[in-house]
Amino acid sequence: MRDIVSIKVLSHPRYLSLIREVTARFCTFAGMDEDLTRGFKLAVDEACSNVIKYAYKGDTSERIVVKYAASRKGIRIIIEDSGEKARPELMKGRDLDEIRPGGLGLHFIKRVFDVVEYDPKKKNGNRLMLIRHGREKHGI
Amino acid sequence: MEFDVQEYKGSRVIYLGGEIDMHSSPLLRDALLDTIRDKPAKLIVSFRNVSYIDSSGIATFVEGLKHMKTYSGRLQFSEIPKGIMDIFSFSKLDKVFEIFADLDEALSR
Repeated sequence: MRDIVSIKVLSHPRYLSLIREVTARFCTFAGMDEDLTRGFKLAVDEACSNVIKYAYKGDTSERIVVKYAASRKGIRIIIEDSGEKARPELMKGRDLDEIRPGGLGLHFIKRVFDVVEYDPKKKNGNRLMLIRHGREKHGI
Repeated sequence: MEFDVQEYKGSRVIYLGGEIDMHSSPLLRDALLDTIRDKPAKLIVSFRNVSYIDSSGIATFVEGLKHMKTYSGRLQFSEIPKGIMDIFSFSKLDKVFEIFADLDEALSR
């Protein structure tokens, strides 16, 4: 699967809106409907927010790379950072019935992607692979 | 993000606008908690001009609601666009917050 577009931004929350815009345009190119585009924007935003919060611990001078690819097989978005290694075994969204601040981001990511995995081959930093199978035009 | 507090038919209404994300939610948190500091019995939030909200924005409102519950205050949402409502429903927040179609319906309850 070839990348259609790749962007690199500073790890500052002000650039999340830029990532959302690029994600939305990519979704339009890929033929997604409005609901799915909205879901993708939110999921990618949440994943990049997590990079700023957890991998870079709020350091706004680092880099986040987002790569987008589309084919008949589906959609793949890769998010790379050079921060602290994620520990997927500790990541778990809160029970949706347990209403408290926080813990929703992972649910928003898993809502639209079939595969949410860190590449174990990346030595320094993280490479989060988000994959949605198929190219059907449907909502969430 | 825009945050404007006005009186509407005797109740306090927050008119929100724009995008609420990790960048703007700290500003929302400060403004919301500042508004709640006076312990209004009822606070209505109009989402009519909100185009985006992420988990940090939702967390801010959950925190605000918890503050208001300590003195039995009511935090009500109104005029929520479909895209935002989908996120609230998925997060089951529609079962936690009082949600109304418009300001007058919120005022009447």
